[in-house]
Amino acid sequence: MLSVAIGLFAGIAVLALYKGMMQSRVRTVIYSEMAHIQIHQKDFKKDYQPSYTLGVGDKMASVIAGMKEVKIIAKRSIAQGMLSTATGSSTIQINGVEPRIEYQVSQLDRKIVKGNGFHQEKRNEILVGKKLADKMKLLIGSKLVLTFTDTAGNIVSAAFRVVGIYQSQNTSLDELNVYVEMKTLNELLLTGTSFHEIAILLTNDNDLLPVQRKLKQLFPGDLVETWREISPETELMVRTVDEYSYIIMIIILFALAFGIINTMLMAILERTREIGMMVALGTTRIKVFTLVLAETIFLTIAGTPVGILAGLFTTAYYHKHGLDLSGMGKEMMASFGFNTIIYPSFPIEKLLAIMLLVTGTAVLSCLFPAFKALRLQPVQALRR
Amino acid sequence: MNKTVIDAHNISKVYNRETIPVYAINNVHLHVEKGEFAALVGPSGSGKTTLLNLIGGLDKPDSGEIFINGVDITKLSANRLINFRLQNIGFVFQSFNLIPVLTAKENAEFIMLLQRTGKKDRELRLSQLFRQINLEEKMNVRPAELSGGQQQRVAVARALASKPQFVLADEPTANLDSKSASNLLDLMAKLNSEENITFVFSTHDQRVIERARRVITLVDGRIAADTAPSDTSVAHQYSQ
Repeated sequence: MLSVAIGLFAGIAVLALYKGMMQSRVRTVIYSEMAHIQIHQKDFKKDYQPSYTLGVGDKMASVIAGMKEVKIIAKRSIAQGMLSTATGSSTIQINGVEPRIEYQVSQLDRKIVKGNGFHQEKRNEILVGKKLADKMKLLIGSKLVLTFTDTAGNIVSAAFRVVGIYQSQNTSLDELNVYVEMKTLNELLLTGTSFHEIAILLTNDNDLLPVQRKLKQLFPGDLVETWREISPETELMVRTVDEYSYIIMIIILFALAFGIINTMLMAILERTREIGMMVALGTTRIKVFTLVLAETIFLTIAGTPVGILAGLFTTAYYHKHGLDLSGMGKEMMASFGFNTIIYPSFPIEKLLAIMLLVTGTAVLSCLFPAFKALRLQPVQALRR
Repeated sequence: MNKTVIDAHNISKVYNRETIPVYAINNVHLHVEKGEFAALVGPSGSGKTTLLNLIGGLDKPDSGEIFINGVDITKLSANRLINFRLQNIGFVFQSFNLIPVLTAKENAEFIMLLQRTGKKDRELRLSQLFRQINLEEKMNVRPAELSGGQQQRVAVARALASKPQFVLADEPTANLDSKSASNLLDLMAKLNSEENITFVFSTHDQRVIERARRVITLVDGRIAADTAPSDTSVAHQYSQ
């Protein structure tokens, strides 16, 4: 009974943990990195030419903002360039943003760990990621130079002052992305009021594909991508981890099977005389087989609610309070884009499948002990 | 003339046939009639338990035929033999072998459930049996709460519950003190004389042998003597 309960508990806990991790990663991707949908000029992402702005960006933005499924949109100008300081240089992506809107779309303000962020009245301010700041030895107030090409193909350099150091759950992105005000970047790029990207946050995750379809119809000349297409590695990771969770489930079921085989073999060994006596008195082999099978099923039935309740209660507790995995290595988790606090979430639609798997395993596992019981000869059994 | 219940011809049981053959039972003929109260006696290793197992259908002889009520049980398939045992033979084992998680009543009822006896008939039979074994007040007690003698009486009730043709008892008094052994023998003798139930039991116990109406003495797998209790000199010799 205990092995069934532990098997179910472990199955629920593993699935909940993996689902929680993946949900957390997907939410980070959507709400902190790239939003649900992004629109670019169709050739922009090929080589990030600054001249490939969205043709009628403001018009597009107002149309999209008016859609009922859309929660908020952010316009962004983007340039690939070089960040230089007295100590060295690093390749970066410069994101020109409208701070107040960007704070809502990607929660950039919540990620600031040092400094205050952009000041409305000041120019040439920059936010850098913690990993980049550590690498380039940047502090609040440090000066740096950004170098990139403008729309005319000229090399442009401009000095910026660090007003904030941010840290997200993805250290790779922190090392690569810097944020400046869009109007400052546009002046340097000579793009005027144009921009390169519209990031769209939806009210409901389920509207992702219908909205993408609608936007593709509205703006056929532009590239409309969902987060799945922009970050295929996240989608792949979700699928891979989903498969891993099944592999782990199978390992747990194997352990459960051996537990049941051991338990039932012990039960038969302890009751060899009893079974021998039953056969001697007239219990048919099929009844002995059914007896072992029924006993296993009763044990499974008794263990199932215990395992399910323990699994669901534990999952619910950690779903509310979070499971701190920082002991596993904050840096390592962040390098894969994971938060160190996971909120496990059990996929309730899989409960029936888990119950059937556990029960099926229990029934299959008892076959060997049941056959063993079948082969007992009453004369030998009664002698023990 | 009484009806024949056990008729065994030329039965042999050999162990270690490939190495050094040991004849546990060697060419034995045995004929038991309805209503007999027979004791199988002999020294340890003489083949008493083997012979009981063979005539009880728990083991198969290497040669010979065993007819129970005219049916050659050596020719029955495993499943038919189990069913035959259920309907025709009652067993009492040396170490009681009651199911510990069942009550005394449930232990006796178990065999009737295997026979698919109706609830009403079961209740009637059980109350009759527990009255006969004088354990009516202990019907709902588990075996662990009963003395050895009481457990063996429950085992007798279980053996009789299926209304068998005969009861085979393998050293039924071996684990009992003398008073319990005497009580059990009284019970078996009473059932034999009043209800004409056939008992064949193996024993070492001289007091048991003296109560038997027929004593079959086995030596080295052969019947050395088959006598009435008044002439038990051979049996006495081997029961020591």
